Order: sequence, then structure tokens, then C-alpha cells
Amino acid sequence: MSEEKKDLESGEETLEFVLDEPGLPGSGEFVSAAAEEVKEVAVVEESPEPAEPEEIAAEEMSPVFKLLARPSLPRLESENRARLQMQSPNRLHFYWSVRTNPFQTLNKALGAATSNYTLVVRLVDLRRESEELHRIDPEGNWWFSVDADSQYRAEVGFYAPNRPFVRVLYSNTIETPRKSPSRRTAAEAEWRVPAQKFAQVLDVAGFKQDAFDVAIAGDDADAAGDATYRAFGRLSGKPASEFAGLDTEELRYAMLALAAGATLEQLRFRVGERIFAVLERLAASASKGDALKALRSEFDIEEEELHAEEEEFGPAVFGASLVNFPKRTRLRKRPRGFDRVSKFEPMASHSLAAR
Amino acid sequence: MFILFILFLFARMPVGYFSLILHAHLPFVRHPEYPEFLEEDWLYEAITEVYLPLIVIFQRLHEADAAPRVAMNISPPLCEMLADPLLQSRYTRHLENLLELAEKEVHRTAAEAREFHAVARMYADNLRESLELWNGRYKRNLINAFRELQDEGVLEIITCCATHGFLPLISTHEARRAQIAIAVANYRKHFHRQPRGIWLAECAYEPGVEELLKEFGIEYFISDTHAILYGDPRPKYGVHAPVVCPNGVATFARDIETSQQVWSAEIGYPGNDVYREFYRDIGWDLPIDYLKPHLHEDGNRRHLGLKYHRITGRNVPQNRKEPYIPALATEKAAENAMHFIGERIKQAYKLRETFEGHPPLVVSPYDAELFGHWWYEGPQFIDFLFRKMHWDQSEIAAMTPGDFLDSGLPIQVQRPTASSWGENGYYKVWLNEGNSWMYPYQHDAERRMTQYCDAAKAGRGDAEMTTRILKQMARELLLAQSSDWAFQIYQGTTVEYSSRRFQSHIQRFDLLAQMLEHSSPPYEGGVAAASADGVVLSPEQLELLTEIEHRDNIFAEIDFRIYAR
Repeated sequence: MSEEKKDLESGEETLEFVLDEPGLPGSGEFVSAAAEEVKEVAVVEESPEPAEPEEIAAEEMSPVFKLLARPSLPRLESENRARLQMQSPNRLHFYWSVRTNPFQTLNKALGAATSNYTLVVRLVDLRRESEELHRIDPEGNWWFSVDADSQYRAEVGFYAPNRPFVRVLYSNTIETPRKSPSRRTAAEAEWRVPAQKFAQVLDVAGFKQDAFDVAIAGDDADAAGDATYRAFGRLSGKPASEFAGLDTEELRYAMLALAAGATLEQLRFRVGERIFAVLERLAASASKGDALKALRSEFDIEEEELHAEEEEFGPAVFGASLVNFPKRTRLRKRPRGFDRVSKFEPMASHSLAAR
Repeated sequence: MFILFILFLFARMPVGYFSLILHAHLPFVRHPEYPEFLEEDWLYEAITEVYLPLIVIFQRLHEADAAPRVAMNISPPLCEMLADPLLQSRYTRHLENLLELAEKEVHRTAAEAREFHAVARMYADNLRESLELWNGRYKRNLINAFRELQDEGVLEIITCCATHGFLPLISTHEARRAQIAIAVANYRKHFHRQPRGIWLAECAYEPGVEELLKEFGIEYFISDTHAILYGDPRPKYGVHAPVVCPNGVATFARDIETSQQVWSAEIGYPGNDVYREFYRDIGWDLPIDYLKPHLHEDGNRRHLGLKYHRITGRNVPQNRKEPYIPALATEKAAENAMHFIGERIKQAYKLRETFEGHPPLVVSPYDAELFGHWWYEGPQFIDFLFRKMHWDQSEIAAMTPGDFLDSGLPIQVQRPTASSWGENGYYKVWLNEGNSWMYPYQHDAERRMTQYCDAAKAGRGDAEMTTRILKQMARELLLAQSSDWAFQIYQGTTVEYSSRRFQSHIQRFDLLAQMLEHSSPPYEGGVAAASADGVVLSPEQLELLTEIEHRDNIFAEIDFRIYAR
């Protein structure tokens, strides 16, 4: 039977249904359907029609042969399913199904108070403590645009304005990876690598774009992050604090690309959706010159270094594979002098020691 | 002996090291229910064009004391197919048929197509030699040949996920663990030792996978470039040195420069004008009546592997291609090998300077099938590469990841980041709008497999019939998990076959599960059946089980209990 629980993780008021099981079903802990009556559950997504079997004379086919010659997917039994999967650092796939009619369960728990509730999927960004809601059916799938380097969980439940969220199912947790180099250098002296040296290492590995960013950001990631927000604030004409939480590496990349003459359209899918949305709003005011000016107010960048140069190879290789080659859209014309000390290059003590 | 090799390696003081890694994998395709099957040709073509030529070249390099060192993954499905008597006998028939056609071609070209005559003779000679090797020296089992090369110190054979399952998209810990455990057991069966390394299918890694690898004694895995470059903390030597996860399992990541140089469809060596054109094949060029005895029963045209034209030029239409001249292509392969080494030397000096004296390691993984199948001259390239590397220079030394681990060179501890070597570097190829429908079924089977095995563990899972059913369910689940199906659906190649294969294995899994749940006499409580004294099947059910076992006979040694919690 259902019961109420406080959602301690989100800290907000949340009711939680426990659907006949002692614990909530996460994707790694599916619940047995043995005691439940099987409910008709459609396929989560439409699967392709089974192909016709090879031509075999009907009289030659035994019942077993016939059965196996016409493969079809079995009906998925009615289960509580909530599986979140990562496609990329910026995109997640979620599929779900609820075994019992969730509205009936809600009625049992809340009685007449249920009329305002809508079944939704709630994607919770556990690191940034933000969430998004979408109205859904009791089963289906959804693609989410998300941020890199964060942690997400999807929940199926009931939403009503000014009422507690009633959680029915929740998924496994997905950690989206960074899509840029770590800001952290090793603690052991033997393995420490200052930013300028690491930029060279990235450069020789073919990750030119990252090399450039690491070089201009320097060794103090926090200071570089603050400087990035200030520069972006200057570009947008808004307080830097408005952009707190946006990925600073991506913001810097976006400004560098704009300063190099890239169009907004060229940045689509190269930066996260949230940053792209901000850029779209800025589109009219964010000229190449403005972007360069904003960047130069915080970083040591020469204009001649910023020439967009497409050097990207497609993933096609000889054979049947598609293999990743890193984006090599350079933001500069010639190798940056990594050895010079830029005006923005706050040095951490370990970096100084390593030199 | 091995210590001497290591001492020799370091006494030469090379500027840098080079590790060639070949990934040989084909999905398990075996259709005993039909007298012949088009997709089985994938294996036969690969044996003729890739595996036999590579074995011959490695053997000759070894006999010439050229000290080649290559890491090679031979995936468990490929091992199982190479060791399968039915496929061995079908390959023999395939090779004999091809040789017959090639000999017919020698006569035809002598009379009416002199410009192709030399090439026709080359094919006939090569196929005759292949047939002799196949039947004679290797006794129709190439596993023996690969094992011999490993024992001789040429190859370091590594394993792969059991059925090339894409680990990050497998939903349960038990099912992921099974992909590793079953792979290691299969490796031991075929190669009589413990594998040191693993090729994670599609180089797909997510944090935590290393714990499974350690549990089964794996020392290293291969990953993509950004697994290390974006790992935490920053890697001091970038991708040009391995890192070791906090639990002690190392990873070696792909070097981009060598990958592009050889493999890129835009700038790679195989696109040279003098190399053999892949797509112009006599299977499409010659009259159908002439070809008919050499085609499948359906009489449909297909690639037969005899190709008489060279690439000629990137934009030259197929009907304007010029005749292939083997001597020119061989010369070019030698030139490319020389160029490749030259570039490695330059790269090594540059890296060493960047690394302030630390010797770099360039790790170059490729699909093995590139060499010989897609790039006909690829095996020759490898032959020249190792000969030149051994005799014509001393700046670069070949080594395997295992050699590196044995060298005692210090390795940085790092947490690699989630990644794959597929398009865009993550999981899009295997999870997208076109193939996401597969995962609820796959995940459902993964969950149920553990449920059944838990029940069996609690009861008497060793009852013969229950064991047979559970073993076959494990095989069906493993085969459904092959990343090949989702990949081919995304690629748009053999979509129908791939969808059907996935559906077949899910359906068979479900049919077998029903045997447990609805057996006669009936057992109460569904999965409880697996914990009873063993199920009793009707004659029809037994026939079905036997037929499924007969068809999907991969991993005879499988232990289903690995799926239990």
C-alpha cells in the first residue's frame, strides 16, 4: 500500500508512493511482478516489424522451425521501470512504465484531492539542485538535454501547483562526464603539470581546442571561472552573477568562437542547451568585436590568434566503423607561445614549484 | 627470455615506443538451420582476407627474427566461430569454391581480358596457398595459429566483452560482470592462460568498469583518447602514457595522429589511387550465368572477393577505374610504411621534448578487418612496418601494453572519464532514436536472468533440465547484448538482419523462461520453478530447447550462476 515519505534529497515537500514493495524501485532493483496481475503494457517505443523469414517451403518447416523463423518481441510484462541512460554528456534517454494504474493509487492515497494532479517526469539535477518537469503517460520514453559534469535522476510522479510532488518511481543516477580536461592537477609532485605545460600536452595529442582553453585559463580554475563570468557579463550587459552555474569552459569556448567570427548557428550542438539559449538571446548584441573586447578585458588574448579554422575530420573510416576524431576547429592561426607568461596566469604554488 | 627481451628493449634506448593493437571481432553468426547463409560470409571473407594473411605475415616476421610485438584482441564470438566445426567445414567449402572460380578466371582472363590476367593468377596462387595452410598447417582451426603466435612471443592476445556487449548500456551489475567473467573463461579455454588485457567493446568505458576487470584478473584495458585526456587529475603525459585507475587496473588510450593517418576515410593511406578498389568486384561485373555455380542458392549477385581494379582516383566513377597492378600497390605499401615510421620518429622526438625526456608511448588501435578486407594491402603494410622498424631505425621500438606494464616505468594514478571510440566519443551510435527501442527488452532480460539464477541458487539449480534452460537463457541474453546489432541499425547496414537477430534472441530467452515458469508438472510462483528439482518438459518444449541449443551454441562452457546476486 502506498505511504508518504519526505524527499530528503531534494529538501522539498514530496510525497512518495511505495507501490506494494518495501522499497522504491530504482532501475537496478526492479520489482517482481509475480504477485501482480499482468496488465497490458504496450511496447515502450514502436519496434520494427519482424522481417520475413527466408523462403523455406512450408511443408518443410516443423512447428519449432516456424516458431523460430518468425521472431517477434514478446510483450513486456507490466513492471515498474525507470531507466535513465546517457547518450552523451549533454543528452540522456529515459524510459519508464508504471505497473499499476498510477491514478488509482493516487486516488487511494489522496482521495478527492487528486483532481489537480498531472502525471509528470521530473529530471533532477542533483549537483545544481535544479529540475524540469514534463507531462507524460504511464509509460514511454523521453530525451533530455542536460549539462556535462553533473548528476541526474529521473522521477515519475504527480505534480500539482502548490502541492507536494508525489513520486511514484525513480531511476538510477547518471553522472554526465566532463567534456573538457579536468581542472585538477595531481597532488603528487612527480605527476603535477602546470597549465601551460598541460596545454602543450593537449596540443601534441591533437586536442588543440582544449589546449588553447587550458592555456588561457591558467592554473587557478576558480579565478579563471570568475573571470569568465565577468567577461560574459560584460558581453551581455548583465551582472556576472546571472550566469553562475553555467559551465565556464563552455562559456569561454563560446566567447572565443564568437570572437573568432563563428556564427551562432555554428555553436549549436557544440555548447550545452542552456548556454546556447543564453547566446540566442544575446545574438543581436554579441558581435565579433564585442566578444573579443569582453574576453580581452579578462584574458591575455591577441586578435590574430583567433581565426576559426575548420580542421575537423568526419568519423568515417575505411571499413564499417565510425570512429571519433576530436573536434579540431581551431581558434587560432598559429601555435600559441605557450612559454610566455600571460597577464592572466595566476600561478598555484605547486605550479611554481614544478617549474 | 622475456626479461632479456625487456632488457634488450631498454638497452636500445629508443626515443619512443609504439603499440599496434588489432581488434578482431565479428558478431556470432551461425545458421545451421540453413544450408548456407549470406551473413556467414562475413567470417569466411575475414578468414581469407584478414586472419590467414595476418597469421602468415606474423609467422614470417617471427621466422625472420624481426621481433614484431602486437597486441591483438580476438573477441570471444570470433574465437567460438573459428573453433566451430560446422563453420570450419562451411569455410572449407567456401574457399574451395572461391579457388575454383579464381582458377576459372585465370583461363578466362588469359583469353579475353589480358589486362587482368596477372591479378587473376595472383588470386589463384594466394587462394591455393590459403587452402593448403587451412587444411594442412592449421588443421582448419586458426585459434591454434593465434595461440602459437602468442606462445612464440609475437602476439599478446587480449580478450573482449563476451559478446561485445556495450557495458555502459547494460543495466545490471550482474549482467556486466557476466560479460567479463564469461570472456575470461572463454579466453582460458582457447588460449590456455589468463588474459592480461581486454578490449572493452567499442572502447566504451564508464567509471566503475575497472572494478569488474580487477575482479577477473585483467591488468589493463584499451580506451579512447579523451578517457585519459579528460580524466582526473590531469594526465602529465597526456595520451602518450598509460594511466592506472585507483584500483590498479591500467588503461592505454588511442593516439589520434596514427588513427587518422591510417584509418581516416578522408586522409588515410588506404585511399591511395594505386591500392585495390574494394567496391568493384567480379560478383557484380561478370555475367550471372558464368558466376552462378559460385553464388549462393538464391543466385543473387554479391561480392566474391575477386577485384581487378585500383582506386584510380577519389572521384573516378566505378566504370572508369583502371586495372589493378599488384607491384605498384606493394611498392606503395612499403612507401606508406616508411612514411608512417618517419612520422612516428618525428612524433616521438616532439613528444619527448614536450615531456622533458620522458619516452612517449603511441598506442594505435585499429579494427583488424581494416587490414586485408577493406585495405587489401594492409597486411603488407604491417609486414613492411615491422621489418623497417626492426632493421632500418632504432628510434622507435614496438611493444605491447603488457610489455609496458612489465617495464617498471612509473604510471600516473588517474580516474579516466566515460567515453567510447564511436562517433562523437560517447554512446550516441548505440543509443539513439533508431535503436533505443531495444533497451527495455534487453534490460528486462538482464533483470529476469538474475531473478532466475537467484532462485536456482536458492534451490537445486543443478537439476539437469533447469541447468540446460538457464545456460541457454544466458547465451540468448549474451547474444542479444552484442553491440553489433545497435551499431548496424544506426549505420543503416543490414538493418533487417540486425533487428531480427536481436528479436530472435529476446524471443528465445522468453520462450526458455516460459519453460521454467510454465513447465509440466507446474510449479507455483513463476520463477520458483528454477529452484525446484528441475523442470520436466513436454516433448515439444524439449524439441524447442534442443533446437535453440543447436543453433546458438556459443560458450559450451558457460556457467549461468555468474548472473546470481
